[in-house]
Amino acid sequence: MRRPDGPAKVHGRFRYVGDLQVPGMLHARTLRSPHPRARIRHLDTAAARRVPGVAVLVTAADVPGLATYGLIVADQPVFGGVRGEVRYAGEPVAAVAAVDARAARHALAAIEVDYEPLPPVTDPRRALAADTPTLHPNGNLFREIDIRHGEDGVHGPVVVEDDYAIGMQDQAFLAPEAAVAIPAADGGIDLLVATQWLHSDREQIAACLALPEQLVRLTLAGVGGAFGGREDITVQIHAALLARAAGAPVRIAYDRVESFLGHPHRHPARMRLRHTATHDGELVSVTARVLLDGGAYASSSPAVLANAITHAAGPYRVPHARLHGLVVRTNNPPCGAMRGFGVPQVTIGHEAQMDRLADALGLDPVGLRVRNALQPGDVLPTGQVLGGPLPARELITLVAARPLPPPAKHDPTGLSLPGGLPAMAEPSRVRRGIGYALAYKNLLFSEGVDDASTARVRLALAADGTPHAQVHSACAEVGQGFVTIAAQIARTELGIDQIELLPADTAVASAGSTSASRQTWMSGGAVRGACAAVVDRLLARVARAAGLPGPVVETARRSLTITGGQIVGAEVGLRMSVADALAMGPVEAEYTFHHRRTTALGAAGQGDPHVAFAAAAHRAVVDVDLDLGLVRVVSMALAQDCGTVLNPLALRGQVEGGTAQGLGLAVMEELVTDAGRVVNPTFHDYLIPTAADVPDLDFVAVTEPQPDAPYGVKGVGEAPTCTATPAIIAAIRAAVGRDLRRVPVRPHHLVGPPDADPPDADAASGGPFGEGPS
Amino acid sequence: MHWSASGMLRPSTVGEAVEMLSAARAAGLEAALLGGGTDLVPALRAGQRQVQTIIGLRRVLELRVRGAGADRLTIGAGVTYTDLVGWSLSPGLARAARVVGSAQIRNTGTVGGALGSARPASDLLTFLTAADAEVLTVSPRGPRRQPLARFLAARPEPDALVTAVRLARPGGPATYLKIGGRQAAYPAEVSCAVVVDRVRHTLACAVGGIGRQPVRMVEAEAYAQAAVDWATGTVSSAAAARFADLVTEATQALTPTLPVGPHGSARYRIHAAGVLAGRAFARCLNPAIARPALAATLLPAAPHSDFLRPDTFGPDTPHADPATPHVDGTGPQGAR
Repeated sequence: MRRPDGPAKVHGRFRYVGDLQVPGMLHARTLRSPHPRARIRHLDTAAARRVPGVAVLVTAADVPGLATYGLIVADQPVFGGVRGEVRYAGEPVAAVAAVDARAARHALAAIEVDYEPLPPVTDPRRALAADTPTLHPNGNLFREIDIRHGEDGVHGPVVVEDDYAIGMQDQAFLAPEAAVAIPAADGGIDLLVATQWLHSDREQIAACLALPEQLVRLTLAGVGGAFGGREDITVQIHAALLARAAGAPVRIAYDRVESFLGHPHRHPARMRLRHTATHDGELVSVTARVLLDGGAYASSSPAVLANAITHAAGPYRVPHARLHGLVVRTNNPPCGAMRGFGVPQVTIGHEAQMDRLADALGLDPVGLRVRNALQPGDVLPTGQVLGGPLPARELITLVAARPLPPPAKHDPTGLSLPGGLPAMAEPSRVRRGIGYALAYKNLLFSEGVDDASTARVRLALAADGTPHAQVHSACAEVGQGFVTIAAQIARTELGIDQIELLPADTAVASAGSTSASRQTWMSGGAVRGACAAVVDRLLARVARAAGLPGPVVETARRSLTITGGQIVGAEVGLRMSVADALAMGPVEAEYTFHHRRTTALGAAGQGDPHVAFAAAAHRAVVDVDLDLGLVRVVSMALAQDCGTVLNPLALRGQVEGGTAQGLGLAVMEELVTDAGRVVNPTFHDYLIPTAADVPDLDFVAVTEPQPDAPYGVKGVGEAPTCTATPAIIAAIRAAVGRDLRRVPVRPHHLVGPPDADPPDADAASGGPFGEGPS
Repeated sequence: MHWSASGMLRPSTVGEAVEMLSAARAAGLEAALLGGGTDLVPALRAGQRQVQTIIGLRRVLELRVRGAGADRLTIGAGVTYTDLVGWSLSPGLARAARVVGSAQIRNTGTVGGALGSARPASDLLTFLTAADAEVLTVSPRGPRRQPLARFLAARPEPDALVTAVRLARPGGPATYLKIGGRQAAYPAEVSCAVVVDRVRHTLACAVGGIGRQPVRMVEAEAYAQAAVDWATGTVSSAAAARFADLVTEATQALTPTLPVGPHGSARYRIHAAGVLAGRAFARCLNPAIARPALAATLLPAAPHSDFLRPDTFGPDTPHADPATPHVDGTGPQGAR
């Protein structure tokens, strides 16, 4: 089943939220701090308010409710700098709505801000040092987790230890942030937004506006990609404040540069990993220290750290582990959710370690992984017993057996060589490498959170007399495929063809976040539950109407079934069309789906934190230009643990996209900061993979049903992002014979002196973790 | 679109365009010349440039002409990269044009735009630097012709319109190699053009992406001239290595340099310049390293090649035959 919005997107007709027009709407723009850390001595908006065409201007002084917001901790000011400090370069300090964007921009230029710049803290290794200033009333430590598993001090005779560093990746979604806010006659506000979680937005907006939640109504508008970057509030509160102040609709929008500054990114990570094993390749212990740079505000940092550190040993059986993680506050851009949510960073580390351990043992990297791969029933470092299917062994074995691509063909154009047509590489100077990676990634929210999802289904007769179902869920469709999944489920459960998915909005209860690989499971489960309840009610009604005995009415599903628009009860001699049954009136039901309960991490990081896991294994084949250090990814093979597949085409889209995003992190994507300022916030300087960079994906789905999920599904979007990067790094490592401890890998890491780019210049700051707590 | 609130003027001749430019300046208006708009439009939309007048050059047909005299090629400022990609009269130029940006950029970006924006690592400008190109401009003071290097080094004349570039007809193989952050559609991080003239026994080499403008590799060129066996137009493999070393040395000594990009390394850039130069040199001259005529034959004929008419221009007058301009009526607009 194809996406209903596919053709419009391909033909450029899809209306993203930034394309929406509302009669009489104003255009809003945002003023941002150029300083990573500063106090605002004075903010003068008088001249800006006088700019022709300006309707309203808002600053921190105009926030009627809570001055701060945040996904987990409300530590981020709606506008920075007035009651405290501006904490990152790009932090909003004011917003203007005017008759057009040009007037709004002129007004921004006319706002006089007297900043007192302060020395920024931009090295996360220094964030917790005694002489580092406290950057926020909440302190500089977002979270620390110290997992102790097995016995302290038990190690194997073969030791591999090193430092790794991963740069800051951006979600780089297609449509920059935008929203339309419309003040309502009842004193409330209606918002059209591109977000990942309508109800979380609502809660935060209402608190800052000092409005009851029911007066803040959100409807999902055209989303152009998310990948975690729309979990946090960006434009929403500003748009609402401006619209209420102006008494007119307001459309707020970011341009590309602002988009790069406006949403949280993937956490840059530094880690030191020590793996020990027996001589025959059995892992004995893993010691990990992981430091994530959370940037200026908490966003989802505490949860990202939990993910990173609980997955730091990878999908391997490890008898003894000490996994210690920190996520700290700096004056760098805030970091938060991005596809993989902390796991891609540690996967890069543990997979590099597994390859180097294989080298040290003289073993095959695939064999070492097969030997140590987790199996259901194994105990994870948190003490959690691995449930559900996790075919990790099967995946790495399968992917290793895929046919290899043919050797590089003689290509005088250079098109298929590193650097492509423009570089026209010398084929004799190109060397091939093959690399593998295996990972697992948790599914759904963790650590005791009950992230339920509610859906409502109404089955009625359409005007033409045919049965028609309306599915109402607040699940944000950001590309993951709920638009087809919801309809597929309803069609299956209700046995009818006409399914209408109502717009996602806050008129129905929360569906939770479109993140953590959770919506097909959670909101799919909610739709299924609501459909089942509708069917039960309809069948009961039919049984009652047919005069069947009470016990049959109460458990009508035992005697009656719906198929092909007919209600049939062979044993009780009943046959009725769904349409006839609905002539007695519509049937409606609401259902809230909960996953199994997990627990928080307790002492020594022990608990049962994750609902379930999905695994993936990639094999990458790369060609490297040995003189220029250019890399071309020649082939990617993926074997993935997918649970039951509901929509093969959508699955393909997810795994190809996840692979491409992981490829980007491996060899090109990094937001670079200089003293806290992003220096490459454009698609000219922040390159993402094109069709020429991403090879066709050789994909094998392993489909063991997840027992506690509806239909046995698993989320599929994140796992391949985790493995694509380390598989490519491993392949490059194999081609050039260097350790490669810094990701993304740049050409100069491959052709300079071997130590051209150590993960960090550690000497200056006393080791990879600086002076933080030990 | 909000920026179109500015006045848009649409001259139909070079003379009109130059008059409009002067008139705007006399009125104290900030004016911009609009060709393909690949640089100007994003700058306007982002508010980086604020202009009161835009002079759109699409209707100036004389700018969209290209042609060949006995010795020279003349390319109007409104000719697009895509037009050049199919031009068999200069395979080296065609190759440089082919590796500019994406297909969309090549379809709309123009030769005049490359000169007007004068981006330091411009693919076209690096090739034209090696090709000893001249820039033709028209201002209220009349037409002017100057070497590209001087044009790029001088402060831009705000009342002058670039009308064309002129270069010698190729007398041997030429190629252009560049590297950047991915497989396609990338800005050059480092690039190198080599142009060989087997008739005059000269070899020219320019490196882009390190200096503030493309730089000729004078010592390497002198070495090459002596090292090439001009009877056969070939060199030894060792000569390619020596040539590469000379380019590395020259780029190392280069000042001032462009700031290194966000992901780059100054050392790497110099190293890469040497590698690219050695490869470009070998591709042009050493069939043992590079297949014969490799540099010149890799471009498929483009759909526009049928409007290739040699001798459109006389030897010295760029617009000698205005009655029969060869105009691509469907092609997009030139930029400056």
